[in-house]
Amino acid sequence: MPDFSASSPTGLVLSGGGAKGAYQVGVLKALLELGASVDMVAGASMGALNGAVLACAPSLPEGVRRLEKLWSTLAAESPVEANGPAYLRLLAAAGLVLGSPVTTVFAQISALAKGTKMEGIVPQVSGDWLEATLLSVGPLKALMEKYLDTEGLMHGLPLYVSVFESRGGFADVLRCAVAEAGLMDTPPSRFVHLQSLPEHEIRNALLASAALPLLYQARQIGDARYSDGGQGGWQAAQGNTPITPLIEAGCRQVIVTHLTDGSLWSRHEFPDTTVLEIRPQSLITPDDGLLGASKAVLGFDASNVSRLMEMGYRDTMHCIGRVMRAVKARQALSLSEQNLNQSLQGGKDADEALSNAMTRLL
Amino acid sequence: MNEEFSPIGPESPLCKTLHCLPEKFIVDLANGIDVTRDHLRVQRGRTDVFSRLYDGFTGQGSRRQAEINASLADGVEASLNWLCELSESLAQSNLAIAQVNERVTSLTGNVALLAHFSADTRHQLRNLADRMDVRLRGMAQEIARIDFIQKAQLNVDATFSKWAAGSFSALSPASRCYAVLEELRWGALGDYCRKYRGQRQCREFMLMVTHRAIVQLEKDAALNQRTPVDMVRVWLTAPPVRKGSGGDLQQALGYMADGMAAEAAPFITSAMQKRPVSPAVPLVARAERVAEAMVWEVFPREVLGA
Repeated sequence: MPDFSASSPTGLVLSGGGAKGAYQVGVLKALLELGASVDMVAGASMGALNGAVLACAPSLPEGVRRLEKLWSTLAAESPVEANGPAYLRLLAAAGLVLGSPVTTVFAQISALAKGTKMEGIVPQVSGDWLEATLLSVGPLKALMEKYLDTEGLMHGLPLYVSVFESRGGFADVLRCAVAEAGLMDTPPSRFVHLQSLPEHEIRNALLASAALPLLYQARQIGDARYSDGGQGGWQAAQGNTPITPLIEAGCRQVIVTHLTDGSLWSRHEFPDTTVLEIRPQSLITPDDGLLGASKAVLGFDASNVSRLMEMGYRDTMHCIGRVMRAVKARQALSLSEQNLNQSLQGGKDADEALSNAMTRLL
Repeated sequence: MNEEFSPIGPESPLCKTLHCLPEKFIVDLANGIDVTRDHLRVQRGRTDVFSRLYDGFTGQGSRRQAEINASLADGVEASLNWLCELSESLAQSNLAIAQVNERVTSLTGNVALLAHFSADTRHQLRNLADRMDVRLRGMAQEIARIDFIQKAQLNVDATFSKWAAGSFSALSPASRCYAVLEELRWGALGDYCRKYRGQRQCREFMLMVTHRAIVQLEKDAALNQRTPVDMVRVWLTAPPVRKGSGGDLQQALGYMADGMAAEAAPFITSAMQKRPVSPAVPLVARAERVAEAMVWEVFPREVLGA
């Protein structure tokens, strides 16, 4: 059984989930109130953006305050903005280059069934195809300009973000669909330590981590292009719940926040790490369908943000409270055992003293 | 935030430990409940045909079930672990209780011994107190007796000093002796001799009084020790009476001598000249004879030691 000392650093995993990231603000607020200390952060997609704002702040309370401000801004003004010309270009490019996308998809599934590697089959699309996305990255960049303090980040909490090496928007979506179907898992995401990157690549890495395929543009980092880190290791949510870099960095106790109902991420994969999961205690996505899921990811409306923040706070109090009750009971037992041993030792001395006194007396 | 869902407050002592998450199996046990409930909630919501087909086809259903099973297995294992620790702790507590019981038994035995010892000590102390009481009472009596002797001695000294100073000079020498003896009889010496009659100290006092009376009589008569002198002329004759002196004293002495029989106290009755000189009184006598006779007549029992 591992024995953890108080000096072991505590990590915080902020998983991805788009607009559901407001839930993490509630989680952090509760952790702050509970007096928790966080030594390093890892995030995917929206979790990476939240983590970046948190890591930029000089302290946890200031980080939470900035996140609350950020999310009140997001609730008032959604960062989701359609990229009109690009949409038209996308349609045109799809028609001209691929001919029939449906046919191509079936061709690729057929190839997968035969055991052929998918990367070799995914067509190398033109530059226009890669550049075409449905949503504009402008609002996100504007928010980053406002809330991302690169200088503060360099001196803040260590931050890891997950990114997924992109093969193009459609190909990425297709690979995720295949993984969802259980046929073949997506390759694992990569984890990038932001403070180790050159300053000009930090924003790129954050945008890449949040770049949902087809919706946002993949970003060039080094020799490769990367998109939303939540796509990697799809079946076990390896990329979307980036605990691995924290463990590799020395964390033996990690708080993991989930933004999906019944996440199939498994704590049992990390037997040497104490994992405390903050899971939604009620439906975080009220509508279970495809449309409902999309709405939950992109729905930056005020009521939704407020609901999610309150939910995160409540669930954290619930999950940690349950653990702490058990801890308290165990500590009380341990303390009582120590007291008992000390008391017994004291009793032996008293017995000896009494015995000596009786010997003198009688 | 809704207070109903925040049973653990920020100031709660248990929250102070959050910065140091405890042993893994405790967290797995407690947190595993929430993980399992999350999966169960989703599982319960996916009972329609499409969801069942989808979960079956993608394998998500079985993976979810595997997660539930793993969490339950971990929970059971953690429970077993904790149960073992609790059992060990309980065993230790029971052992401690047994030890405490042994100590209480031993303590009770020692207390019983102490109680016996205390009772014995009390008994001895009572005996000692009784003995001390007797001893102290005896000492008090002895002190009182010594004090009495002292008073009697002082009484003798004072009375003979008075005689020597000439307080009874209006009387005959025999009457002076009688006056002194009467004063001693009614004073501290008399009290002492009455209280401690027959004791050696009484006889010693009588002897001392006799000796001092002899000395004083000889001084008054200006005689040598062994010189017999005429009884009437020397011992019974008072000096010439000066007007207004000694009459009352003579009368008082006469009154006191009235109660004495001439046969029992011939020297006293002769000295007081109430009657003719008793035939029992010698015609010539030394001071010793007069003093001894008068002491005998005033303190007959004391002299005899009866």
